[in-house]
Amino acid sequence: MSQDHFQEDQETDQYTKQVIENGLSRRSFLSRAAGGAAAAGLFGLSSLPVAAAGTSEPKGLDFAKSSDGGATLSFLPKPKPIRDREIAETLTFDVVVVGAGASGVPAALSAAENGAKVAVIQKAPFALSQGNTGSGVDLATSEKAGIEALVARLIADSNHRCNPKLIRQWAYNSGEAVRWVIDRARQGGSPVVDQGSPVQRAILKVNGYSMGYVTSFFGPKPYTTGDGMRHLAKTAEKAGVRFFYRMPAVQLVQNKAGEVLGVIAKGPNGKFTKFLAKKGVILATGDYQNNKAMSDYFVPDVKHLERKQLDKTGDGFAMAYWAGGVFEPIGHTKMLHDFDAGPASMCDMPFLAVDRKGRRFVNETVEMSLLNNYLRDAENAGHYSQIFDSNYMTQAAAWPGKLVPPEGLKNYMPDDPSPKKGVFESQVNTHVADTIEELAVKIEADPATLAATVRRYNEVVASGKDSDFGKPADRLIPVVKAPFYGIHRRVRVSAICSGMLVNENHQALNADGKPIKGLFLIGNLGGGFYGGVDYPLTVFGLSLGRCYTFGYLTGRHVAKL
Amino acid sequence: MKRSIVPKPATALLALLLVTLSGSGLAAAGKAAKGARTSKHAGQGITCAQCHGKSAKKDVVPMQQCLSCHGDTKDLAVRTAKVKPTNPHENRHFGTEADCNRCHHEHATSENLCLPCHQRFGFKVP
Ligand SMILES: Cc1cc2nc3c(=O)[nH]c(=O)nc-3n(C[C@H](O)[C@H](O)[C@H](O)COP(=O)(O)OP(=O)(O)OC[C@H]3O[C@@H](n4cnc5c(N)ncnc54)[C@H](O)[C@@H]3O)c2cc1C
Repeated sequence: MSQDHFQEDQETDQYTKQVIENGLSRRSFLSRAAGGAAAAGLFGLSSLPVAAAGTSEPKGLDFAKSSDGGATLSFLPKPKPIRDREIAETLTFDVVVVGAGASGVPAALSAAENGAKVAVIQKAPFALSQGNTGSGVDLATSEKAGIEALVARLIADSNHRCNPKLIRQWAYNSGEAVRWVIDRARQGGSPVVDQGSPVQRAILKVNGYSMGYVTSFFGPKPYTTGDGMRHLAKTAEKAGVRFFYRMPAVQLVQNKAGEVLGVIAKGPNGKFTKFLAKKGVILATGDYQNNKAMSDYFVPDVKHLERKQLDKTGDGFAMAYWAGGVFEPIGHTKMLHDFDAGPASMCDMPFLAVDRKGRRFVNETVEMSLLNNYLRDAENAGHYSQIFDSNYMTQAAAWPGKLVPPEGLKNYMPDDPSPKKGVFESQVNTHVADTIEELAVKIEADPATLAATVRRYNEVVASGKDSDFGKPADRLIPVVKAPFYGIHRRVRVSAICSGMLVNENHQALNADGKPIKGLFLIGNLGGGFYGGVDYPLTVFGLSLGRCYTFGYLTGRHVAKL
Repeated sequence: MKRSIVPKPATALLALLLVTLSGSGLAAAGKAAKGARTSKHAGQGITCAQCHGKSAKKDVVPMQQCLSCHGDTKDLAVRTAKVKPTNPHENRHFGTEADCNRCHHEHATSENLCLPCHQRFGFKVP
């Protein structure tokens, strides 16, 4: 299937213009301050000396500046150049991938399969990622109009603020890429399966057009994509990729013209190794959720919300920034979920929901993935509970979602001695009690508050109209018959999905919209794929599917340079 | 400050002294004194230099320094294999290679890195 009618003209597209104008880069504030074109001329285009010494900023500047030049950004300290005499060893490859996660491992293998000599340098002691589901479009079973309708849906999901070219690139290449990941991970011993279209129930038709999907499932828990990428790494090793673990990348190597020549990493012994990359460095270091100052700046909404990941300190962001890259403007897209406390299939069912104290706070038809917006304060910090009584199997039977019977709920109950299956035992948080007050204690809410809330809710239900929050009448069921159930969910930051400006080759662009030679950004570090307030759940597994796809494409592209 | 080797009133006096005298040489000496006071190893006849080296610039101590006395983390993981509800020294995030200092602090109160996410992993961290 071709996308020829979208062959881009040479002019800079709207999305890129917007990011260059409002995003954060080393030179954005300077060129703005000095007046557009004149400043661009002043600092030159391709010959800009953006090497670590950084002559484009005023002397003595130790930190980045906000895009209007007004604020000093402490989370982007100017790196002190590591000198050659501090380097213990220098190794040369064609392609160096930084970060062995959902985008990095596929990129490395893809590059190796296309003939490149590849190194992966990884911060953790092994490949590390998270999640289970990663998706792509099956071109063979999808109508072209359906693919375009899905693309339009995804653009709308991102409040029309993404780069449409990247969405289309995912749509037309993801089926092939996800299938490839499944095949290669299996070769490494992974039990991964293709769940195909059935799991994408809600989007089998888009605007009336038929669609088919490839849905990789690395699971069930506790097996995840982390294990999956470790299996994929085995295949990559067999293909000749060399992995360097416990080796966080700390600095890019650039020449005077700003071309990226390699990257310096720090080993567990404290010694530096320089990895030279003849064709390019692919940064795949994930998001920056564990860098508090960086998150507070770009996504202040999640200031009080807990994190699901560890050590994602935005290292790749800082490196790409100092190499001349551009951050997407403030207001980054966030992903906050809790699929673990109770059954995932019940997380969007509109049972009575109460905040951490026990107060009703929302029309419960709002999806779990958006509830973080109501629970952003320090007190709630993402905590809420779904409350229902023992009639739920019959009274909620017609609701969308899938009910798990009482026997099955025990799998999610930390207080129930039954052995757990297919869940993270330390994350389950479903409770049952004979009275509302007892239930309140178990879900850590205030008993009197919860009792009052339930009383009021039952009045609303009895009246047949939700005069408090306007929930549809067929979503109102009373909480009267013991035992009572509570699923204490805690939405935490799964990922931050905004990144830095790239073109369709996933090559970083600088503040003039020019590609930075030798530098590629994939995974959540790559920008342009989202743009809404929250990550959309339209395509289940879009995030991982996009990571695999852009890893696959970028590895191949860089290998062929 | 839990296992300070200096009795409390003396600590206060020392702090007061350090605030009053503020030469740069004294500041360094003060830092060293503070380090000794807060060190959990100090009472066991272990000197600052054994971890920090002799240079005046006191860099972060690499984990290898811990291992040179305490032994390999893989052996440690074997010793704590039966800890409930899970072995803190062998986990999904770091395998057996978690940096000791993420939980066990030398000059500050130790912390349980698991706890924020895994709320029932209530380990006591020495
Ligand atoms: C609990 C959970 C469940 C999720 N479930 C799903 C799901 O089912 N479907 C879905 O689509 N998405 C899911 N997501 C989101 C998805 O996991 C991420 O969006 C995706 O993993 C991002 O891929 P990435 O390649 O950008 O980063 P990661 O996969 O996080 O990989 C980044 C890698 O870079 C390494 N690294 C970091 N800094 C450095 C450095 N300086 N030097 C060297 N290496 C470095 C890290 O150790 C890591 O291995 C989930 C997220 C979480 C937290």
